[in-house]
Amino acid sequence: MSWIQKLYDTYEACLGHEPDGAERLLPVSHTYQQAHIEITLTGDGRFESARTIGKIETAIPATENSAGRTTNCAPHALCDKVQYCAKDYAAWGGNKKPFFAEYEDQLSSWCSSEHRHPKAAAILTYVRSGSVIADLIHEKVLHATDGKLLTKWHENGEAPEILKVLTAKSGERDQGDAFIRWRVRDLSNPCSAVWEDTTLQNAWACYDASTKQTKGLCMVTGQPATDLAVNHPKRLRHAGDGAKLISANDSSGFTFRGRFIDDTGAQACGIGYESTQKAHSALRWLIKRQSYRNGDQVIVSWATNGVNIPDPFLSSFDLGTGDEATDLTAPTHLDHSAGQAFAQRLSLALRGYKAQLSDNTDIVVMGLDSATPGRMAITYYRELPGSEFLERIEHWHIQFSWKQNFGKDRHFDGAPALHDIAEAAFGMRIDEKLKKSTIERLVPCIIDGQPFPRDLLTTIVRRACQRINMPHWAWEKTLGIACALYSGTFHQEKYTMTLETERTTRDYLYGRLLALADHIEGRALHVGGESRDTTAAKLMQRFAQRPASTWRTIELALVPAKSRLRAKRGGFMHEMEKLHDQIVCAFQGNDFIADSPLSGEFLLGYHCQREAFKPLQKTIESSSDATEISPN
Amino acid sequence: MRNRNTIEFKVWGRNALFTDPLTRIGGEKFSYHLPTYEALKGIAKSIYWKPTFIWVIDAVRIIKPIRTLTKGTKPLNYDGIYPSRRNPEKKKETPANTLSIYTFLSDVEYQVRAHFEWNLHHPDLANDRNEGKHFSVAQRMLERGGRQDIFLGTRDCQGYVMPCEFGSEIGSYDTIERVDYGLTFHGFAYPDETGEAILRARFWRPVMEHGVIHFPRPEQCDILKEVRPMVAKQFGQSCVLSVDLEASDLGA
Repeated sequence: MSWIQKLYDTYEACLGHEPDGAERLLPVSHTYQQAHIEITLTGDGRFESARTIGKIETAIPATENSAGRTTNCAPHALCDKVQYCAKDYAAWGGNKKPFFAEYEDQLSSWCSSEHRHPKAAAILTYVRSGSVIADLIHEKVLHATDGKLLTKWHENGEAPEILKVLTAKSGERDQGDAFIRWRVRDLSNPCSAVWEDTTLQNAWACYDASTKQTKGLCMVTGQPATDLAVNHPKRLRHAGDGAKLISANDSSGFTFRGRFIDDTGAQACGIGYESTQKAHSALRWLIKRQSYRNGDQVIVSWATNGVNIPDPFLSSFDLGTGDEATDLTAPTHLDHSAGQAFAQRLSLALRGYKAQLSDNTDIVVMGLDSATPGRMAITYYRELPGSEFLERIEHWHIQFSWKQNFGKDRHFDGAPALHDIAEAAFGMRIDEKLKKSTIERLVPCIIDGQPFPRDLLTTIVRRACQRINMPHWAWEKTLGIACALYSGTFHQEKYTMTLETERTTRDYLYGRLLALADHIEGRALHVGGESRDTTAAKLMQRFAQRPASTWRTIELALVPAKSRLRAKRGGFMHEMEKLHDQIVCAFQGNDFIADSPLSGEFLLGYHCQREAFKPLQKTIESSSDATEISPN
Repeated sequence: MRNRNTIEFKVWGRNALFTDPLTRIGGEKFSYHLPTYEALKGIAKSIYWKPTFIWVIDAVRIIKPIRTLTKGTKPLNYDGIYPSRRNPEKKKETPANTLSIYTFLSDVEYQVRAHFEWNLHHPDLANDRNEGKHFSVAQRMLERGGRQDIFLGTRDCQGYVMPCEFGSEIGSYDTIERVDYGLTFHGFAYPDETGEAILRARFWRPVMEHGVIHFPRPEQCDILKEVRPMVAKQFGQSCVLSVDLEASDLGA
C-alpha cells in the first residue's frame, strides 16, 4: 500500500487509542504552538483572570494558511498572539502592524456559521470588548509604562516572566508576540480549556472544511470530489523543521511540467485536506515517539494498529537484553559463553512484542531525509507482516552477535547498533553525510535480510587491526563489532563466541598466536612493573598483512619476556609454552609459512583466545550468583 | 488468456523509477515498487508503434526482488544561472541546480505480456489496419531490442528488452500468494485514444498474485482524475507530404 495511505490508516487506528503516556494525536485543522499567557473567561464572555504560563506547547485550531504562516497576516482561529487578539494593541503602542481586524473577521464568520461553538462565541464577545491588553496589564501579565507596552525591563529587580520567555530581537522583546490560549468556564461543560475540548475541535474542523474551495480526486483514498489541500504540513521532524514531504512550487524550476501546464501541481496530483492532515499528524507523532534519528535522517518503524514494536536499529543491549534482570528466569545450565544465554534473553525481550503482534499486523519501515531545507525525501519504504518483522530483528541480533565491550557499564553479548557500525568503519569523527549513507545501506540488511556489504566489512576489519591508532576503549569497541560482523557475514562457518580448539584454519590459528604473544609479553611487563604497548599490539596491522614474517619479529621480541617469566612465573610460562606448541602443531600443510594477508577470521581467533586467557574466577562468580537467585 | 496479436517480452535494467506522483511534484522522486501500466505501455511503444493501433498491457510478472536505492541528484534549475568568474555577484541569483534525493528501484527484471488493438478513433488510418503486418513488425523489432530507446519509468533508467515466454524462469515472488498495494497510478487517458477532448489520469489498486499483476483494461479503471482539456493531434494524409512531391522538390 502507499506510504501516505498507511499513515492515514495509522492515524485512524490510533486516534483516541494512544498508548499511556504518549502524546495525543493532533486533530485535523490544528497545529502546535507555544502559549505564554492563559486567559480565563466566563461562559458569557467576561474576563475572569489571566496568568503567565511560561512556554507550553498547545494544540490550537488553525487554518491551512495560518499553520504555515511566517510574518504575513494569517490569523489562527481562536488562540493567537496579542498582536492578533487585542483590539487595543495599537492604542498601547504596539510595534507591529495590528492584525485584529482579520482575526475578528475569521472568528465572527465561524461564530455565525452552522458549526459555531459556545466557547468561540464567548471569546468573540470578549475580544470585541477591546480590553485584552488593559486586562492583562491589570493582572500584571503584560507590563507597560506611560501607556506603552514595555520592550525592555528598566527597573531594578528581576524582569517579569513574560519578558523572559519571549524571543528578543536586537535586545527588544515585543509583548505583542505573547501567545494567548483561552479557558472558558461554563457550568454546562466541565472542560474549560479550549485545547482539550473535543467538541470545539470538531466544530472547528467542520467549519474549516466547509471553507475549502477546490474539489477533486483524493489520491490517497480514491474518493472523487473531496476537498483538496493547497498546502501540506511541515514541522515533521522537529518544531523548526521546514521540510515538506509533499510540495509543489514549479513556477521556476520546471520539476514536473510537461503534460501538466499549471505551476501549482494541482493537475499532477491532488490530496484531500483531511487525508494529508491526518497522515502528516500521524507521521509527526510517530517520529517523535519511535524513530531512529541521525541528524536530518529519520528512520521510523511502526505498526499500523499502534501497538508497540521494538526499534530494529538499536544494539542488542538497548533492546533490553543487556538487562541482567531478565536473566533471572533463564535456566542457568545454559552455556553462557556460547551465546545461548543471549539468545534466550533476546527471545524474552521480544516475547512481549510477539504477544501483541499478530500475523496480520502490518509493520511499516520508512526512512526520511532531506538534501535541502525545504523538501524531504522518502529514502526507504517497506511494509512487512509483524511476525516477519520480529523474525528479521531476531535473526539480525542472533547472527551478528558477539561479545561487545562498549565501555564500563556496557559489556554485552549481541549485535551493535547502526551508528556504532558506521563509527567502527570510519572512526568517531565520521563525516555526517558518510554516516547517513552508511546507515542507509545497513537498513536493508536488517529489514530485508540482505547480506552485509562486503566493503564495509573489509573496512571495519582493517580498522580493527590498526590498534595503535586509537584509544584503547575505541579499539576494544571496534574489535567487538568487527568480530560480530565477520562471524555474522560468514555464519555458515558457525563461529562461536568461545575458543574453538578444534578449528585449524590458518587465519584463526594465527589470531590465537597473536593473542598468546600479547598475553605473554603483557604479563612480563606487568611483572616487571612496566607499562607500554606489547610488540604484538604494535605490530598487529603488519601482522594482518604478512603474518608469517611478522610472527618471526614478534617471537624474537618475546625472548626477554619469556626469560623473565621463566624466572618469576615458571608455572605460567610452562602453560603458555604448552599452548604455543599446540597452536603451532595445529597448522596444516604449508599454512604456517604462507605469508598472504589474513582475513577477518584472525580477529575471531584473537578475540576468543584472549577471552580464554581471562581469569576464570569472574565467570564462576557470576554463574554462582545466578544459581542463588534463580529459584525466585 | 492470450489475446490475438500478443507479444511477450522480458525487460530489465539496473535502475527503474516509476515515480509516485505525490513525490513527483516536489522533485524528491520516490519510485513505486511496481511498474505502472503507462510505463510498460511506453516500453511497448518504444519497441514498435504506429498511430493505427494502441498497445494494451495484459500482465507483468516481477522476476527479481524489489529493492530500492537512493541517489543524491542535482537537477538543473530551468532558469538557473551558473556561477560566473567574471561576475561573482551572479552566484546570488538562482543557482544552477538544486539538490534532491531520488529513490530508484535497483536491479529490476520484468516479464510483460501485451497485445495491440486498432485505434478506432483514427478512421483516417483504417487502410493501415493490417494485423499480420503490424504483428510481424512488432515481433521483428522485439527480437532486435526495440526501435527506440527503452527506459524504465524515467529517461535516466535505461532498460533492455528481449522476447521471452511469459511465466518461464523462477521469480522471487512466485510463492507469495497475494500482496495488496494501495491506490496507484495506472495510466493517462489521452484524447487520441479515448476520442474525448480531455486528458485524464487513471488510478487503480494493484494486487500481486504469485508475482504477477494483471492489469485492468484502461476503460475498466473507474477512479479517474481530470487533468486538463486537451485535443488529439490529427494525423492523416492532410498533414503528410507525399513522397513524390518531396522528391520533385529535391530535384530528383
